[in-house]
Amino acid sequence: MVIDQQKCTGCGYCTLACRANNDVPPDISWNRVIEAGKAGDKTVFLSRPCMHCEHAPCVEVCMVGASYHRPDGIVMMDYDKCIGCRYCEVACPYSVRAFNWEAFTGPNPAVPAWGEPEIERRPRGVVEKCSFCSHRIDRGLTLGLKPGVDPSATPACVVACPVGARIFGDLNDPESQVSQVLAAQPAYRLREDLGTSPRVYYLPAREETA
Amino acid sequence: MSPQRRFVPRPFHLWLVFLAAVAAAGFAGMGYIFTHGLAATNLTDLVPWGLWITIDLSAIAMSAGAFLLCAAVYLLGLKRYQPVARTATFIGLVGYSMAVLTLLLDIGRPDRFWHALVYWNPHSPLWEVTMCVTLYFTVLLLETAPIFGHAAWMQRRFPALARRLGTIHHYAPYLAIVGLGLSMLHQSSLGATYGILKARPIWYRPDLSVLFMVSAMAGGPALTLLISHLAGWLTPHARVDRSLLDRLANFVGWVLVGYLYFRFWDALSMSYTYEPGRTESLRLLTRGGLAFNFWAGEILLGAVIPAVILLVPRLRRHALLQAVALGMVVGGVVAYRWDVNMAGQLVVLTYLPQEIATRYTQYMPSLIEFVTGAGVIAYGALAITLGVRYLHIVDHRQEEAVEAETVSVLAPAD
Repeated sequence: MVIDQQKCTGCGYCTLACRANNDVPPDISWNRVIEAGKAGDKTVFLSRPCMHCEHAPCVEVCMVGASYHRPDGIVMMDYDKCIGCRYCEVACPYSVRAFNWEAFTGPNPAVPAWGEPEIERRPRGVVEKCSFCSHRIDRGLTLGLKPGVDPSATPACVVACPVGARIFGDLNDPESQVSQVLAAQPAYRLREDLGTSPRVYYLPAREETA
Repeated sequence: MSPQRRFVPRPFHLWLVFLAAVAAAGFAGMGYIFTHGLAATNLTDLVPWGLWITIDLSAIAMSAGAFLLCAAVYLLGLKRYQPVARTATFIGLVGYSMAVLTLLLDIGRPDRFWHALVYWNPHSPLWEVTMCVTLYFTVLLLETAPIFGHAAWMQRRFPALARRLGTIHHYAPYLAIVGLGLSMLHQSSLGATYGILKARPIWYRPDLSVLFMVSAMAGGPALTLLISHLAGWLTPHARVDRSLLDRLANFVGWVLVGYLYFRFWDALSMSYTYEPGRTESLRLLTRGGLAFNFWAGEILLGAVIPAVILLVPRLRRHALLQAVALGMVVGGVVAYRWDVNMAGQLVVLTYLPQEIATRYTQYMPSLIEFVTGAGVIAYGALAITLGVRYLHIVDHRQEEAVEAETVSVLAPAD
């Protein structure tokens, strides 16, 4: 995934779409939008999903293997395996993980009346986090769609972004839009010093020279 | 012969009632946590590990007397310490059961505790800890079996079973080898559980596993000796050989010297240059909210002063002073575990490239965390009290006969 900070306006639609799609409780955010300084007069935002690190500390330390890498590289949670020890939370440098301190019951205010979440709600006592909407990717692939190109095979946050600040695709495919953008523009990743190799890239905001 | 014997409560009974009451309150709190979840705690996504993990780590460290003394008796051939090893083994059994109880409290899905044994991720230090603790708990059950087998009431009621349990003692040297290996592994890897996390700069260093090991080597025997002292003073059911305790207390003093040596170089190396996150945590420890805990609890009262008392014969031979010093060592190790756990979490991680300022968070255990924690500790104290009273776990004059049966596998018989 590539997130363009130049375009991001901090509207928070990504978070809202994520909540509605994944039935995320109000006290948890799989995606956070944070103010991150200024470029000229413009406020810069940093929108932060799970980094889906290549060397994911959470996967390394999870004692039951409830955090694991899918073959496509997505860092996934097995909510049926998780025992809720929260070691992954302590280990994650990006604070993307949230524990279900209490059971989430009742309607989700983020879910609109005309739709329903696409995945099951997590039980009390397990850790949850962004999955790159793997259910949308998987369903899309079985329908012969291309994630990142066809909206219904693409993560909800990417589809919902009104300014197109999020680009999704296969980093291994040189023809994909993410690969093309990264080849053309300078990008950075969060805390690269840690050696986690995040799969989320940021295009930094630039001061506009008129 | 009076027709009715009136029950006159003695301090012992009041002590039992007190412990049972605290333990019962703790178990009630545990029931609440199991049914209502961890929302009742003050743990957060920023500080997911708090008071309970400290109790858990401390209980395991305090159980380290078991493997050390068993190794000394059965592998090094220091047979005169056998009665103390017996005390330490029983304390170890209780300590590990306390750790299991707090872990059950702490995990979000206690109903899935068995997942750790079925679904393996050998890459995780906590997986290794779980495996070692489970296996070592089994070892401790076997090692303490003769204690139950030798209990008079056991021999009276179930003579065959008592004999069977007693024979397990023949395998004590082998159990000591396994116990030594497993304990060295998980006592250290509990430190590594923190030490491998690159996301927490104050933790990310190899020394943590060494420090956890060495501090456990001081704290474990210290608790065993302290309990032996207390039992010797408080009840006629315990018989204590002061000279044995004295020599082991001296050993604890030397371990403290080694511990202070490692800590000094560890701390010194961290104090050079600014390292984001680590420097803030170190400041929190030495000058911030944890400073009193660190300087007074861990270093001065927890290590330096007791080391002096336990190494200077004139001071050490004063039994009360020795016991106070041993208690200080125990407190120091608990303070160390608490400080390690908090120093890494109270400094909030930053992943924003532009953000240099580090932020801090707070944690104060909630009432239910205190109540359940106290309950677990009361359960431990109750089990040890009953062990002293009915299993005679502190008895330095009983074991000569048993000792003769044992074959030492490594040390030549003398």
